[in-house]
Formats: sequence, structure tokens, C-alpha cells
Amino acid sequence: MNTPQTATLLIGSAKPIGDSTSEALGGYLMQRLADYGLTGETHHVARAMRSEARTAGLLAAVDRSDLFVLAFPLYVDSLPYLTVQALERIAAHRQAQENARPVRFVAIANCGFPEAHHNDTALAICRQFAAAAGLEWTGGLSMGAGTPFGGKPLEEAGGMARGVIAALDLTATALAKGDTVPDEAVAIMAKPFMPIRGYTLMGGMGWRMEGWRNGVYRQLRARPFANQSD
Amino acid sequence: MNATILNGGLAGDLFVDRLQDLLLAELATAGYQPAAWTLREEKISYCLGCFECWTKTPGLCRIDDAGRLVSASVINSHLVIYLSPVTFGGYSSELKKAVDRSICLLSPFFTHVDGEVHHQRRYDRYPALLGVGILPHRHVEQEQIFSTLISRNAINMHSPQHASVVVTRDLDEPALQAVLRPALSVQEAIHP
Repeated sequence: MNTPQTATLLIGSAKPIGDSTSEALGGYLMQRLADYGLTGETHHVARAMRSEARTAGLLAAVDRSDLFVLAFPLYVDSLPYLTVQALERIAAHRQAQENARPVRFVAIANCGFPEAHHNDTALAICRQFAAAAGLEWTGGLSMGAGTPFGGKPLEEAGGMARGVIAALDLTATALAKGDTVPDEAVAIMAKPFMPIRGYTLMGGMGWRMEGWRNGVYRQLRARPFANQSD
Repeated sequence: MNATILNGGLAGDLFVDRLQDLLLAELATAGYQPAAWTLREEKISYCLGCFECWTKTPGLCRIDDAGRLVSASVINSHLVIYLSPVTFGGYSSELKKAVDRSICLLSPFFTHVDGEVHHQRRYDRYPALLGVGILPHRHVEQEQIFSTLISRNAINMHSPQHASVVVTRDLDEPALQAVLRPALSVQEAIHP
């Protein structure tokens, strides 16, 4: 395949614009691809699936792109509902075309668990989607411990983003040349930026602080549906 | 014993609805009090990823729609069946809509399960999980992904037992019964 000239990013998080780790990751990759001369456009899944007109806009964007980038958060071991819905529509749209234009596809998954391998099933689903939609699978990146990043640009996230930035830089270089996602980038991306024990301790503290701020510290383990049938 | 079927069939997919009816009959015969949610007919908003069901209204999604009722039905069941077209190996969007809203059933706090980090229980008891996937024809890779996804969901949801089957659309009713009956025994180990 020739080197790609155009890229479309779909942000698979339903969070408001500017709030999601998926946007930080996908946005950074798109910036680096732009450095290599690719022109790009970004779609947010909650907007894209809000109306038929907007969904048609997403489908057209994928059709005219050389590279389709999906950045999404892990929801219950797989892709979020709206993202699944978008992929269903894209696959059906492309299957209905006799000669769908070749498009390459890369997926970036992030999860709140410290271990990146929680994303494995979701990336396997992405690969099957690529086959169903007639997209060329170029690989997937998998990041754990994504919660602390939020929507903050990676360049402003300090040391914890160093590995992620390195992985995305390697990926952009490869994709811009028409190559697949390098194994080195996959390995760097999956490496935890802090010890797992530290992450879970800090995570627990964060949930407690949030509960305290919201005045429900003592109710954090509430069971509103308990024993409704007993 | 309660059983809940989450029907993730997309609009116009009559095969999934027939399978739901078959499952309801099999569950009743097996002594369950079954309930089915045809998710495409329910008003269920998508999970916003806000985590307020953990930190602001613990255990309860801030969106007051059928998604809350589905979660209540799930946690008060002994067996939950995810019934769905196998979609790229995973669940259909309709099923995923309800599954995403179920994180309120867990605690935000972390624990370790077999060396992996997962969320702690919120409730004492969780249902057994049976995945019933539907494919137009056999697809080994997608069947494997579906089975893995059910296993992963079962770990995360602290399900005491889990199983999955994938059926193809060419099967007639006796053939479907032959596949489903053994699968329904997933829960017998807990409530014989």
C-alpha cells in the first residue's frame, strides 16, 4: 500500500470533549501523523451516533481516509456500547459497497486496571471488525492504568506519559510509512508507568476522596438492590 | 430461583427472539422464575463513564431509566443469560448498552483475582453467567473471543459459575434445545 495521506480518528469515549484518556491518546497520535504530512479529522462517538446525518458523516470520513484510528476506553472487558454501534454501522456500510476503498485500521485501547492485558479481548474484537469491514488491520496498542490521564494532553501529563508518548511516536512513524504498529511500541505502551500496588493504593484513596467530596464517604459500599427477591 | 435473560437482538432479528422464547420455556421447566429484557425495546441510555454510580450515588446509576431496572434484575438473579448475535466476537450493541450500565453492581475498590486486579464485590451474591451467542455460520475465532469475553465478564462480575455456547442460525428447535439444555446446567453446581 502507498503511504497514507489522510486519517480519521474516532474517539470511542462517551465522556465530554476534552475529558477522556482516549482523546488524549488518539489526539496525540493524530498530531504526530500530521507532522508526517497526513491530514486528519476527528469524530467523537457520542456525537457521531446522535443522528443519522452525523453517522453518515462518520461513514463518509472513514471511506475517504487512508487510515482509520479508533481510540477507546475498556468498558466491561470490551468496547463501549456506542463504539460497538459505530463499528456495526461501519461494517454494514462497507459490506454494502461493491468496491470499498482500501482503508487501514489501528486501535488504541486503554483501561482503568493497571494491567494492559485486560484490553486483549477488546483488541481481538477490533481485529475481527477489521476483517468484517474490509479494513486492513495494522495492529493495536493497549494501555493500562489509564484513569489518571483523563483528558489532559500527554505533553502535560509529566513522567507518567513518557512511555505512552514514546509508543505513539514509534507508531506514528511506522503508520506514516505504511507499516504496521511496531512490536516495540506495543511493548512500551503496555508497560505500567508505576508499580501495580502503588496504583491500586492511590486508586482506592482517590475513590474515597471523591466519595468524601460528594458527601457519601460512608455509603460507598451501599447496596441499593440488595435482597429485592429474597 | 430467578433467571434473567438479556436479549441483545437487533431490530428485526426474529431468530434471537425465538431463542429467547425457547430459553424462557427451558428455564421454566428447570424450575426457574425467568424474566426477559428485550433490550432494543427498552429506554436505556448509554453509560457516560462518569463513575457517579461509585462516588456520588453509590450503587445506583445517575440515569433513571430501564438500565437501573435491568441491573436490579441481574443482581437479584441466580442465573443471567447474555443472549446476543456474536458481533465481531463480542456482544451486539444492544446487549452492550445494558452490560455497560452494570458497573454499579461492583465496588470501585480494587482486589486481586488470580493475580489480576479487579473490582471488589458490592453484593454478597452474584449470578451465574451463561452466554448464548448467535452466528450465521461457524466462525472459530469469533466463537473463541465470545467464550473468552464471557469468562472475563464472569471474573469481573464475581460470577460463581459461567459457561457459553454459540449456535448457528440454521439450527432447528430440537437442535437448539440439545445445545441449550446442557448449558443451562451451569448453575446447578450452586443451586441443585
